[in-house]
Amino acid sequence: MTIERRKFLSMGSAALIGLSLKTDKKIEGSFVNESAAAGHLLRDRAKFPPPKRTEKVPVVIVGGGISGLSAAWRFHKRGFQDYVLLEMNERAGGNARWGENEITAYPWAAHYVPVPGLRAVHVRELFTDLGILKDNVWEERALVFAPQERLFLYGRWQDGIEPAVGLTQKDREQFKRLEEVFTRYRSTGEFTIPLELGLTPKFAELDRVSFADWLRSQGFDSRPLLWYMNYACRDDYGALAQDTSAWAGVHYFASREQEENGPLTWPEGNGWITRRLLELVGDRVRTGQMVHKMIPSQRGVSVFAGDTEYQAQFVIFSAPTFLAAYLQEDFPKLQTFVYSPWLTANLTLERIPDSQGAEPSWDTVFMDSPTLGYVDATHQSVSSHLERAVWTFYWALADGTPAQNRRLLLERDWNYWKEAILQDLERVHKDVRRCVSRIDIMRMGHAMVRPSVGSVLSEERAMLKHRNNRVLFANSDLSGISIFEEAQFHGVEAAQAVLSHLSGSHS
Amino acid sequence: MGILLFITVLLVAACGLIYELIAGTIASYLVGDSVFQFSTVIGTYLFAMGIGSALSRFLNKGLIQRFVWIELGLGVVGGFSSAMLLFAFAFTQGFALVLYALVIVMGILVGLEIPLLMRIVKDRYSFRDVIAHVLTFDYLGALGASLLFPIILVPRLGLVRSALFFGLINTAVALWSTFLFAPQLIEKRALRAACLVVSGMLGIGLANARLITTTAEDNIYADDIIFARDTHYQHIVLTRFKDDLRLFLNSHLQFSSRDEYRYHETLVHPGLAAIPVPRSVLILGGGDGLAVREILKYSQVTKITLVDLDPEMTRLFSTQPMLTDLNQKSLLSSRLHIINADAFPWVDSNTESFDFIVIDFPDPTNYALGKLYTTAFYRAVARHLSSQGFLVVQSTSPMFARDSFWCIAETIHQAGLQTFPYHVYVPSFGEWGFVLAGMHPYAPPKSLPAGLRFLNAEGVPLLFQFPPDMAQIPMPANQLNTQVLVRTYENDWKDISH
Repeated sequence: MTIERRKFLSMGSAALIGLSLKTDKKIEGSFVNESAAAGHLLRDRAKFPPPKRTEKVPVVIVGGGISGLSAAWRFHKRGFQDYVLLEMNERAGGNARWGENEITAYPWAAHYVPVPGLRAVHVRELFTDLGILKDNVWEERALVFAPQERLFLYGRWQDGIEPAVGLTQKDREQFKRLEEVFTRYRSTGEFTIPLELGLTPKFAELDRVSFADWLRSQGFDSRPLLWYMNYACRDDYGALAQDTSAWAGVHYFASREQEENGPLTWPEGNGWITRRLLELVGDRVRTGQMVHKMIPSQRGVSVFAGDTEYQAQFVIFSAPTFLAAYLQEDFPKLQTFVYSPWLTANLTLERIPDSQGAEPSWDTVFMDSPTLGYVDATHQSVSSHLERAVWTFYWALADGTPAQNRRLLLERDWNYWKEAILQDLERVHKDVRRCVSRIDIMRMGHAMVRPSVGSVLSEERAMLKHRNNRVLFANSDLSGISIFEEAQFHGVEAAQAVLSHLSGSHS
Repeated sequence: MGILLFITVLLVAACGLIYELIAGTIASYLVGDSVFQFSTVIGTYLFAMGIGSALSRFLNKGLIQRFVWIELGLGVVGGFSSAMLLFAFAFTQGFALVLYALVIVMGILVGLEIPLLMRIVKDRYSFRDVIAHVLTFDYLGALGASLLFPIILVPRLGLVRSALFFGLINTAVALWSTFLFAPQLIEKRALRAACLVVSGMLGIGLANARLITTTAEDNIYADDIIFARDTHYQHIVLTRFKDDLRLFLNSHLQFSSRDEYRYHETLVHPGLAAIPVPRSVLILGGGDGLAVREILKYSQVTKITLVDLDPEMTRLFSTQPMLTDLNQKSLLSSRLHIINADAFPWVDSNTESFDFIVIDFPDPTNYALGKLYTTAFYRAVARHLSSQGFLVVQSTSPMFARDSFWCIAETIHQAGLQTFPYHVYVPSFGEWGFVLAGMHPYAPPKSLPAGLRFLNAEGVPLLFQFPPDMAQIPMPANQLNTQVLVRTYENDWKDISH
């Protein structure tokens, strides 16, 4: 270490100034994008004022997440304009919403799409339209930059999230054997994305046990292996392996080819897709319009939102399916639609916290933490010099029942969650408190559908997937797993069904 | 007499501290690790002062005379301390030995001064007043010296002159003491003569300070010519040894002034001279202005845009005389526009086109720099090439980092460009490689601008021949999502160091 003479002298005075700055600076922030209060009006069967006006529109899309926007995208591509999309929140996007500050855009929930396989034709079509897929080559800037993932375990870092250090011979054998089991399931062609394309009752017995029980029955007891299986379930389903259907657990690993390329991602996560879809169909989207009643009849559906009654021929119901029971009289209460509560937070960092020597990664996970770690929203920046960052922190409240955790989400104040998040990060980033200027937190009571035991192949789901009624269901929860590809698949399929119904009725 | 006496104490204290600071500073500059150097120099010095104080009890007779001799001794040793340290570093292996020996000798002499002075004046004042006054002026002198040293002495006089100057002050104190304490002194004449001899020696030293420093070949360190700064973006270090000026960024050598012309002539001319009428040139990186210097040799080029991240770097190379000598004030050219920006986002947002693009970034030692060597980056840069244009990329060593070099070439190729790799020998770097690329075939130039020291038109085609030990090997392209180059580069250089 060489220190210039003048600098050496100035260190003394810098230290004196430093003393006065030593107190922790205040961290700002709040809960954001709150929608629980509005949702609870539906739950509590609140009285809504009668409509002041009626509007005739052939198709109403309820919900402006990926499913609804994808339905609109299909309409747009077919040149069909006679629809509106009603979104309860002030901004469309659902689980693909995003935010933005002076540092970067950042996701509020879903933040990547795995490179789609050949069977995900709608996804490939969309990405071709958006310029991400050209001549079978993926746009380099949309693929996650290296280094991608890192796991902190036993006081050190490793590349990748599947535990690879500190494994015993037994651990290694079990990882290898499990991979062979998944490979066999993969080769059956039953586990596909979109899930609908491969789904048959062939492996129905997997849906009758929990993933944890299934692993135990197959003789898997390696601790790092079980941690990793639990992590996968928490990450994709917001649930522990014991609360997840083994069919879904297997699907997570058997549905995708081992891809050389990392997933597709953007600074604002899947918000980038929302943004691009809104460029195409945004003029049909009405935000701040919560649907509070639907009355289907022989000739159409009346949809009530705000002070308007929309008289539609068809409704594409892209909102979470469980809401239908609160909007439509005599709609059966759904038994196999369980939802996981989540919390996400965006941390504004004025400088990059110390990472104990590691280079910044896209996705950071801490072993044995109840949280899912964080994703660096600045990672996809092409800049070579970043001084500030935004980290998107993910926490599926998987331990305990969803109802308990929803209550916890509502009861605890911002300060409680802020401390919980900082203490989790302090496992590794000791100075994180001094780097953070702002923590905004989004609470989602029903963040994603949970593929609980018996739910993937349930009768209910099979029924709701039939798109032969006036109300066509289209949320990703129809598949039982909440991922972009499923939401898009159901949205596009519902739109296509509506178009063929309409052309049928016209002809 | 009182006040004069205490001014003596003040001056003596100032001299003592200055020698200590000089020893610490020179050791830091020459050896580095300033914390260690200052700690050990100060510790040794204080310890030696303790020895001096302890020894003072053995001096009983002729205290004033001894005090004068001590001042003269200190004048010589302290006054020439800078010079001795520089010579020791330049000509011997035993710098540390000389350093600590000097520090101990000076410390002992300084340690003797105050106890002797106190005993000399003890009969004139009460013990209480002696302690209070002497120590007060001792500390005042120390304060004055510690402020004077960094603010005036080092920047204005330099370390060699500062030491000699304070040696003269010690000598002046000696001379003055012969008058101040005249009644108690015998052999005044001999002492005064000795004072004059010492003054003469120091005066000759002062007059030849420049010669001393250049002889020691290290005036750079003393005269602020070595430069070290942590900017917002990087650690810039400039060293000089004899006529060799070297720039290091984050400890990686960027150029040596002895042979940088080989590098920069080869970087610029094979591509630029092959373009019929080049008008506009873009340089990414290259804040040292040396590539600009070469480009300015083309009078047809009317506009040069230099994009470098670090404003400190371009400022330094626009203002520092030794550096502007080297780049011939190229950064001050009216044809040049300097933009301090991050290259990749700049390339993405800018829409101009250029006839020649020079890409001269530091080697891909980490993922942040690795982004600047990807297909995505070269595609973005290629959009700025005019129809007749070429770009050239500094591509590390095809000898020491052969995999990396051919990985970069393959990356540029997969970005949709025709590539023409070449290399040159730069003594301070070894074999170094470049990749020239464009949308159309390349033919070496028939002529080059006048005044080149290394390249001539006949030599250019030879640069494109690779002997077997540097020949092309199949490598994957480097992409944002793989960053294979960073790991490749790390392995290449790891292999070399084994």
